[in-house]
Amino acid sequence: MTALPSVEAVRAAVATVDDPEYPGISIVDLGLLESIDIRPDGPGEAGDVVVGLVPTFSGCPALSMIADDVHAAVTAIDGTTSPRVYVRWLTGPTWTVERLTGTARRTMAEEFTVAVRIGAGPVPCPRCGGDTAEESMFGPSRCRAVHVCRSCTEVVEVMRA
Amino acid sequence: MTALTGGVREFVLAFADDEHLMGQQHTEWIGIAPFLEEDLAFSSIGQDELGHAAALYAIVLGGGDSDEPVDDRQLDALAFDPDPLRWRSANLTEIRTDDWAHALVRHWLYDTAEQLRWELVADSSLPALAGAAARAEREEWFHRRHADGLLDVLLPAPDAGERLRAALADLLPVAVGLFDPVAGEVEAVAAGVTAAPFDTRMPEWIDRVRSRFDTDLPLSTRSPAGRTTRSDAFGPLLSRMREVLDLDPAATW
Repeated sequence: MTALPSVEAVRAAVATVDDPEYPGISIVDLGLLESIDIRPDGPGEAGDVVVGLVPTFSGCPALSMIADDVHAAVTAIDGTTSPRVYVRWLTGPTWTVERLTGTARRTMAEEFTVAVRIGAGPVPCPRCGGDTAEESMFGPSRCRAVHVCRSCTEVVEVMRA
Repeated sequence: MTALTGGVREFVLAFADDEHLMGQQHTEWIGIAPFLEEDLAFSSIGQDELGHAAALYAIVLGGGDSDEPVDDRQLDALAFDPDPLRWRSANLTEIRTDDWAHALVRHWLYDTAEQLRWELVADSSLPALAGAAARAEREEWFHRRHADGLLDVLLPAPDAGERLRAALADLLPVAVGLFDPVAGEVEAVAAGVTAAPFDTRMPEWIDRVRSRFDTDLPLSTRSPAGRTTRSDAFGPLLSRMREVLDLDPAATW
């Protein structure tokens, strides 16, 4: 029996993949999943599944790891037989912090002391809610700047737009 | 999956090569920059440029808008090609410097030109190139802010200002070579891949250089090398980049 998975099943499978930078945060919550395309008449044995992802930054070193994990998760969906699975890094749209879900933001704040910068203005400290000031726009990884909280003096990493 | 051919290929390849070599140059400052924040800044900026290069090489190989991802090995084979004749890099991206003033001035000169270059392909007839331009500009804004922030502080300082101006005098004759036309650019313009020849933006770049450095250095002379000639620095640079591949051609990472 060969069958293609449903869009919902593919989405659920992709949602099991965590970002290597943030274990515990799904790439779906990070806003990386852009499209799921099920093509019954594709050239694969049972058709094709094409998962379209957007990278946070073009030079992110985790891209191939994430693509491999997504490929494995979708290929392992129960009740499907050998669909040809493609994982594409799309050239558009451009990822922005607005794509992060509330769940992702909460986990970042609580587990990683990472705040998210939306628009201009001060970034609130994830620990005490006080204002933070930018210390360096380049932090420990490409997507994070370093701030310091003016109230609790905690170092806060800020995922930037 | 259709790989680019002819002049359009040459045009995108030259852009990819410049981004690749600038990314490599920036990464060589990791661990030896004057202070920790600069280690981080140059590594982040280098990472972005390498990301742009990978995206551009993938477009050259036909992976831009294809379901079939470009094989990493195929991409590496192009990006680390040992044959100097395959390269289209500008000499500015090839020269090695162990002087941080030179590195900072080159960073500013290159990124100022790079902004103008991405603008020309923002509405490219290659959707993948237009997409890469949109993403790149969001990243390049940080690069320019980084370079300008340092120059704002250092140019008015007596010793630093002198060293930066000396670096500018050294680099300008090479930097103008960024605008040397790539063979095939005419074809790329005709195909709508880019809006206009890159050197049409050179006057804008010259204005920005003059106002940033408050200089009247002559800027009209083109580098004699052009895009078909590699500088003496290219061979050693390629060797450094190929060090692992040359030791173990089957290495994976």
